[in-house]
Amino acid sequence: MENNIKLNFENYLNKKNFSSSQKEIKEISFNNFIKNGFPNKRQEDWKFSDLKQIITTNFEDINFSKKEEQSNIDKNFIIEIEHNKIVFIDGIISKIDFSYEDEQQVVVEQNSDLEKELSRNSLLNLNTAFVSNYTKILVKSGYQFKKPLILFNYLSNNLNNVGINTRLNIKLEDDALLNIINISNENLNNNFLNFRQKIDIGRNSILKNYSLDINENSNFKYSFKDIHLEKNSHLEYFILSKGSKFLKHDINCSLNNEFGSVVLNGIIDLDDKKHHEIKTNINHNEENCKSYQLIKSVLNENSKGIYQGKIYVNSKAQKTDGYQLSRALLLSDEVEFNAKPELEIYADDVKCSHGSTSGNVDEDSIFYLMSRGLSYEQSKKLLTNGFLNEVIEKITNNEVKSLVKKLMGINE
Amino acid sequence: MLNIDSLKAKIEDKEILKGLNLNINPGEVHAIMGPNGSGKSTLSNILSGKKGYEVNGTVTFEGEDLLALETEERAHKGIFLAFQYPLEIPGVNTNTFLKTSINAIKKARGEKELDAIEFLKLIKQKSLELKFDEKILSRQLNVGFSGGEKKKNEILQMSILNPKLSILDETDSGLDIDALRIVSEGVNSLRNKENSFLIITHYQRLLDYIKPDFVHVLKNGQIIKSGDYELAKELEKVGYEDFN
Repeated sequence: MENNIKLNFENYLNKKNFSSSQKEIKEISFNNFIKNGFPNKRQEDWKFSDLKQIITTNFEDINFSKKEEQSNIDKNFIIEIEHNKIVFIDGIISKIDFSYEDEQQVVVEQNSDLEKELSRNSLLNLNTAFVSNYTKILVKSGYQFKKPLILFNYLSNNLNNVGINTRLNIKLEDDALLNIINISNENLNNNFLNFRQKIDIGRNSILKNYSLDINENSNFKYSFKDIHLEKNSHLEYFILSKGSKFLKHDINCSLNNEFGSVVLNGIIDLDDKKHHEIKTNINHNEENCKSYQLIKSVLNENSKGIYQGKIYVNSKAQKTDGYQLSRALLLSDEVEFNAKPELEIYADDVKCSHGSTSGNVDEDSIFYLMSRGLSYEQSKKLLTNGFLNEVIEKITNNEVKSLVKKLMGINE
Repeated sequence: MLNIDSLKAKIEDKEILKGLNLNINPGEVHAIMGPNGSGKSTLSNILSGKKGYEVNGTVTFEGEDLLALETEERAHKGIFLAFQYPLEIPGVNTNTFLKTSINAIKKARGEKELDAIEFLKLIKQKSLELKFDEKILSRQLNVGFSGGEKKKNEILQMSILNPKLSILDETDSGLDIDALRIVSEGVNSLRNKENSFLIITHYQRLLDYIKPDFVHVLKNGQIIKSGDYELAKELEKVGYEDFN
């Protein structure tokens, strides 16, 4: 595979007309990726998801420089919420629509110039090597989005064995508000998707980010987010991880000034042989910040779920409030769930806690529901939906809450 | 309607029911009284299909072998168990549960399922009849309900599902006088020529509100004596210990 990727990269560089400095940045990143390869289980961050092995097992080859042509796409996703949107098709932006917003207040730029950087994370280097056109969104000071922004990710139906790298930078200046919904509708072929986002949340600003992986697809995805919070800003982050064959969410939040807060809630709901991981890294770098995390998992059949949650508290970050809880229902003998909570605390006046439970559905509760005429499957579904509902109820945007319930088949 | 013949039940090698006989005809109200550990709850669990017991003997319901049916099939046939300790089901809205339940039963019986409007109408009417605060129905099923609210919720479910045979397992335990009266009124309102009841209790008190046609004394896994309402009064005087 390595030789092919090298050829892909040469083709890619020849096809595009990069400046020599850009070319150099890409080459350095690429060489670094080649040196380290896909991450494997010997790396602590990938302990439970050996991507190298997963890629080797599922791909003979991945084409990272496919021709930019699109074929049929199933866009059967109907969203009843009024929204702005950015549509990615095969990783390339095909539509940008901010028609609900004041154009003076939102700046959208497409850019291909990257800054020089080398990461320990080889997938970020891979992204730098192959990403061509990326988008920057700037929400100006004091502007509050009227409608949510939906980021759609579509793949062409016949796309197969392709590697896609996308990048998006979002910046909220001070006193701004934005709701983002990520929805993907990928195809049933094997592709490798490497998403990268950088988000800056300015003073007194609020970002709500709802990441919905709902549609059945057999893609392998890595989603990296680097989120920075300024003074008195707030992030609400919700993950529904359900549809993809493999998906790793790698979410890094840095509370860089006082009174920032992060609420990060997630659902992993899997069947078949799906393998999903939520890895979070919450850095409390300054005083008086808060973070809450609640992750609930329901695992069926041969699926595998992982939650790795780290809270880091800098010695300056007194009066920190950091909380995380993972609960899992393991509904077959073949499932695997791994939870790794980590607290790294260098300040002395902090409140931090973590907890993790896993178990099966309560048989007495099943009996109670069945005695009211529900079948075993119906009872189990009601109980697991009830279990997950606690997380859904934490969504503060009511339209999104209803959407998620509908997608999950939960009646209100 | 219900015929129990030499019913024996074991759980983990411990024999709990040791040959129990009981016949209930349509429209009859039977009370089973007995001390702790006599097998009262085991009987109600077995009738509603709880797993984990080794059962011998025959039980027929309207001529059909009841023991061969799954728990939910028994509910579809018209058997209802009001639980002694109704379970708390977090995250499940009470209304959603009630609607799922009634429609599962209607579907199994080949009847038309209720739509949202018909369901709400039914709920409104039943809540009013039972003096049940409707607001509680938009809460999670039994979560944070008081003991009385849980029991009233059981009676509301019973009233909505309108079963042929209702088994009340110590429904009176943990109820104050007012709740006891409301629960009893609920049961009495469902009494008619077709519906039967099996009321399991420790105390005569409930039977002052729901007058049974027959009273049975269950001791050591067997019915040792049957009679009418007077038997309950006698029991209350003598106590289970000395009753033979």
